[in-house]
Amino acid sequence: MIELRQIQKNYRRGAEDVRALRGVDLTIEKNELVAITGPSGAGKTTLLHILGCLDQPSHGDVLIDGVNTATMPESQLVKLRREKIGFVFQQFYLIPGLSVFDNIALPLLFSKKPADRKKIEGLADMVGLSHRLDHAPSQLSGGEMQRTAIARGLVNDPDVLLADEPTGNLDSENSEKIFTILKNLRDQGLTTIMITHNAELAARAQRSVRIRDGRVAA
Amino acid sequence: MTSYPTLAAKNILRHRTRSLLTMLGIAASVGVLFAVLSFNQGFNEGLAAELERTGLHFMVVPSGCAHEVAALVLHGAVIPKFLDTQVMDHVEATDGIDLATPILVAQLPDQERGTIDLIYGVDMEALPAIKPGWQIDGRMPRSPHEILLGYEVAQHDNLKPGDVFSTPAAGIELTVAGIVGLTSSQDDAFVYLPIATAQDLLDYPQAATAIGVKVNDPAAIGAITDELTSAVPGIQIVTMGEVMNSVSNLAASARALSLAIVLIAILISAVGVMNSILMAVFERTQEIGMMRAVGASRWDVFRIILSETTILALGGGLVGILIAVLGARLIEAFVRSVMPFVPSGDLIRFDPVVALGSVVFIFIIGLCAGIYPAVKASKINPVEAIKG
Repeated sequence: MIELRQIQKNYRRGAEDVRALRGVDLTIEKNELVAITGPSGAGKTTLLHILGCLDQPSHGDVLIDGVNTATMPESQLVKLRREKIGFVFQQFYLIPGLSVFDNIALPLLFSKKPADRKKIEGLADMVGLSHRLDHAPSQLSGGEMQRTAIARGLVNDPDVLLADEPTGNLDSENSEKIFTILKNLRDQGLTTIMITHNAELAARAQRSVRIRDGRVAA
Repeated sequence: MTSYPTLAAKNILRHRTRSLLTMLGIAASVGVLFAVLSFNQGFNEGLAAELERTGLHFMVVPSGCAHEVAALVLHGAVIPKFLDTQVMDHVEATDGIDLATPILVAQLPDQERGTIDLIYGVDMEALPAIKPGWQIDGRMPRSPHEILLGYEVAQHDNLKPGDVFSTPAAGIELTVAGIVGLTSSQDDAFVYLPIATAQDLLDYPQAATAIGVKVNDPAAIGAITDELTSAVPGIQIVTMGEVMNSVSNLAASARALSLAIVLIAILISAVGVMNSILMAVFERTQEIGMMRAVGASRWDVFRIILSETTILALGGGLVGILIAVLGARLIEAFVRSVMPFVPSGDLIRFDPVVALGSVVFIFIIGLCAGIYPAVKASKINPVEAIKG
């Protein structure tokens, strides 16, 4: 379970003080598929980064399975990201020099785990890319790239998958495929939190949380 | 499965041209470093072998510059001074002398042929003792007008034993008795003739530019040279060890300058590596942010970037040594064309210790060049990086 208590995030952008989050309270249960929506600049991505232990709040508590990560040192945050969290980005961020197989296996390098070929092939099969394992990212379509990124996000068996506008760069057909994969993952017991501007997909999520001006909108 | 070195290597291959150019810069610097260090070793070994081949322990020459004497001993430089004829009597009368032979080295212009012959007048009976390693095609001269030709002279004039060697001096006809086999040293460029004939040709009766001396007991060289120096005024005695030191000192000065230039070149290529890796880091900021998000620690990022630098440096270093070894003969030919004396034999030989030393050196330089970009990359804020 993830619990956010009175999360505030302030930072400076040039001469300007930005209050990205202004007291967010949010609880996400295990196996939930949550869509986070809201206008640009509302604080969705900042919230996702805090949920993913990539950033820490200026004030408030972030409890992941009861452990407060708000004041954790960087070394423990890295460990938590490796063990419990998977990330998917709008721009995929695949490494061009690596094959699909190696891109999926990349997080294993950082968690010092051997690349289990069967497991990676299983993940590729799950996202429909078993025929593309030896291909370079440049040979993939946008949808295939995002599916590779999802497999990469799952390779460390995370408890939570965080997806920042995973369908933002995709057409409706590929968006549907991605959403289906995320939904299946939730059905298999994975907590999935997805930022989206797609109202239709948000409506089909288990729960939709709207962020507005750094707060959870009523 | 991707490992840190493979990931680094694949990152390098993403910018093939840039990586290749950076690597070539390192290869050039390390190749020259390896060549200079190997050359130093080969030069000293070649010099020692060359001096051993002379079969003499010391030279008696007119007082003057030690470098001049070194040049005389090693490549027959012309010294415009002659020993007094009585010096030979003193040397021969000294105890402990096994062999003393006057040597007259001079240039003999031949306007008819348009050449300048280098002549080496010596007692032909003493020649086998002075040049014990020579292979002679034909035989040693037996009469005053018979000569030996160095390999290059014979090749140049297309002469063989029994042929007549033309001289500018009227009434003197020289016959080639034998041709010295290739020595790949300055010996190949001389015409060897009995010293009396050389004196006649030059019109310097009784003249000698040096007296080559071989002693019975090499341990007594110091005592003998002291005795001669105090007994005969106006002479200088130079042992082969001193000749070696003299030439080595000259070579060491050239080497120090070359090394300084090579080190500057290495520094420049290290800056090139740093620049190349920094560019790669800036271009991959978002990718580094992604790696941090999926579990890479700062240390992981540091390692990847440092691996890229060391791969570039090591790759360049190995290629540089390979080029230096393969191009050794070309480098030697160049050095021989610009240096006044270079001993015969291979000057640049593959020495695993020198090669390993050069590689270790460039590895350390690579590590140093990589630290700044690696620290820079490891400090990238993943949140900022992912935002772009």
